[in-house]
Amino acid sequence: MVEPDVTVRTVDPGGLQDWGQDRAGGRSDALMGWLVAVGLTVVGFLLLVAAGGPLWPRFAFLVLGGAGVAAYGLWVYPILRSLERKLPENLDRWNKLESKLIAAFEQLGSGDLVRSAEQTAKLPTRLARISAAAADALSSLAQQIQDSSIEVASAADAVNQVASDLASGSSEQAASVVEITAAMEQLARTASQIAESATRQADLASRAESSGESGSGAVHEAVTGVEEVQKRISAIANRADTLGTRSKEIYRVLELINEIAQETHILSLNAAIEAVAAGAEGRRFSVVAEEVRHLAQRSQESVESVRNLLDEFSGSIRATIVATEEGSKEAARVLERSRAAASAIGELRQASGDTSRVARQISMATQQQNAASDEVVMTLREVSLVVQRMTGGLKNLSGTADRLNSLGLTIQLLAQSFHLDSPRSLKHMVEAWAKELEKASSATELEEALDRLVQAAPFIELGYFVDTTGYTVALSYNRALVSGRQLLSAVGAREIDMTIRPWYRAVSREKRASLTPPYESLQSSGQVFTVAAPVFGRDRTFKGVLGVDINVTGWTRI
Amino acid sequence: MTADGRSSSRDGLATGSHLLVQAGEYVCALPLVSVRRVLRTLTVHPLPGSAPELEGLAEFGGEPLAVLNLARMVNAAPGANPANPVTIVVVAGPPEARELMGLAADAALEVADISPESVILGDGGFLLGEAPVGGKVVRVLNLEALGR
Repeated sequence: MVEPDVTVRTVDPGGLQDWGQDRAGGRSDALMGWLVAVGLTVVGFLLLVAAGGPLWPRFAFLVLGGAGVAAYGLWVYPILRSLERKLPENLDRWNKLESKLIAAFEQLGSGDLVRSAEQTAKLPTRLARISAAAADALSSLAQQIQDSSIEVASAADAVNQVASDLASGSSEQAASVVEITAAMEQLARTASQIAESATRQADLASRAESSGESGSGAVHEAVTGVEEVQKRISAIANRADTLGTRSKEIYRVLELINEIAQETHILSLNAAIEAVAAGAEGRRFSVVAEEVRHLAQRSQESVESVRNLLDEFSGSIRATIVATEEGSKEAARVLERSRAAASAIGELRQASGDTSRVARQISMATQQQNAASDEVVMTLREVSLVVQRMTGGLKNLSGTADRLNSLGLTIQLLAQSFHLDSPRSLKHMVEAWAKELEKASSATELEEALDRLVQAAPFIELGYFVDTTGYTVALSYNRALVSGRQLLSAVGAREIDMTIRPWYRAVSREKRASLTPPYESLQSSGQVFTVAAPVFGRDRTFKGVLGVDINVTGWTRI
Repeated sequence: MTADGRSSSRDGLATGSHLLVQAGEYVCALPLVSVRRVLRTLTVHPLPGSAPELEGLAEFGGEPLAVLNLARMVNAAPGANPANPVTIVVVAGPPEARELMGLAADAALEVADISPESVILGDGGFLLGEAPVGGKVVRVLNLEALGR
């Protein structure tokens, strides 16, 4: 705690007092003035005589000087004498008035506009009214300064909060911009790779198109060859079919031969029967019949052999026909597939051409994208720099807002150095509390009254009453601002000798409220300032000092 | 065999030349003296209510001819589908009542000589016995036993 900022500004009354004392010198002043006038007239006449020239200007000067001296002696001298006689009375009145003025200005100089108003009320009506008007104007000005400083502090706090939020946001934005820049650079690299890949793909597609053209020619030749093979196979099938038809004719011939052989066989048997029936004469005929039967049998065996050969031949022809049919079908399938392959190769060639063109377009587009990405990256870097500068600026703004807040608080405290007749005046409030404490008749009542007052003001950390020995008789803390652990240090404050504290000494000396600059609280580690006011007994004896530690943050919010 | 080609018989056993025919799985020997003609199979008109061995009546030389199924008569397995079926016109029956009859056979094979000593006699009916011919066993038939 430090000495309160109470500077007493007094009016310099020295000139008036000296002037009054000179006036107390007596009546010689008026007489001395008349003698000086006569002397100056004579000196002027002698100078005109010494200068020579016509006589009438000298006589005229002498007449006028004599008239002036006579007039002064007749009219001015009595008045001056009368004034000189009233001067002591007026001087006494003036001294009283001066004392009242000095007292009023002393109160005013100490910032106590309430007591200053009390003093100015004792002045003459007009002067009292003027002084009251001046005090009111000063009070209003101090009040406005208080209000404005509170608004400045609040606005600075809000600006600080906004600046902090913006700085935080811009920091995040800067980080995001860095990430976006990295992503865009990655995108640019990827675009470059895509462009290269697209170029390679365009080359490959061009080669594929060329290969497709070659393949298409080859497939067309293959189709032509397969068509020729199909024609040959058809010719072979026709020939085989013809052979099959002819083999059937051979079968019919063989059947006919077989029937003839069978008929011959039967005929030989009947011949043998007839030879037997012919008896001895038919014996030679039976031999012939037997030979005929053998011939028929050999014919049948030959027919059977030919039939077997023809069966093999027919089987070969059928196999040939089947093979040619299968070959024809296979050739047709090959032809169909070859045509499909030719169509597919044509489509593939077309697709390769399209792919090549698209790949070139992709390559160009990705190159353009790459260039655009580079521009975006450059722009993002510039944005990053701007954001970083903005972040720095916002931090500076936050610092400026801090300073503005501090300045607002300083102005507020300066304004609070005035004791105004206003509920917003801390001195007024604490003095009112001090009057409340004056009603307490015991330490317990004192503590209860103090606790009641402290709990009613959420911005007060600590309130205490210190007697004339410096001992803290009563102490109350705000439970919303000071925790139980912090209470220990607050309770420990009772053991401190408060008489050494500047605010205590100022209050006990001036017997008026005082206010300290902000300092760090022992309880909450926050910024507090102390407002102290004297506490008087019923007989107006000085009983001690009421001290109130006001939390700056809470008070500013209030 | 005698000079007229007829063989002396022992209870209908004919000796000398025989016509070998296929009847089912069996080869049967018909005495050649009783065979009149070998014909491609004749068109047969079945007779309702007749014996199973009688296939029906055919026309031969302007006269009706009873045709017997030789395979059935020798108890061969049915179902054969011969390539060259024949109808053999024979003179059958006891000497006092000989008549022309047709025997439907699967094929007419050849004419062969069978000595009476080689015949192993059977029950003495239509199936007279069996004799080896060319490494095969043929069934020697007694046509005189038909119609008894």
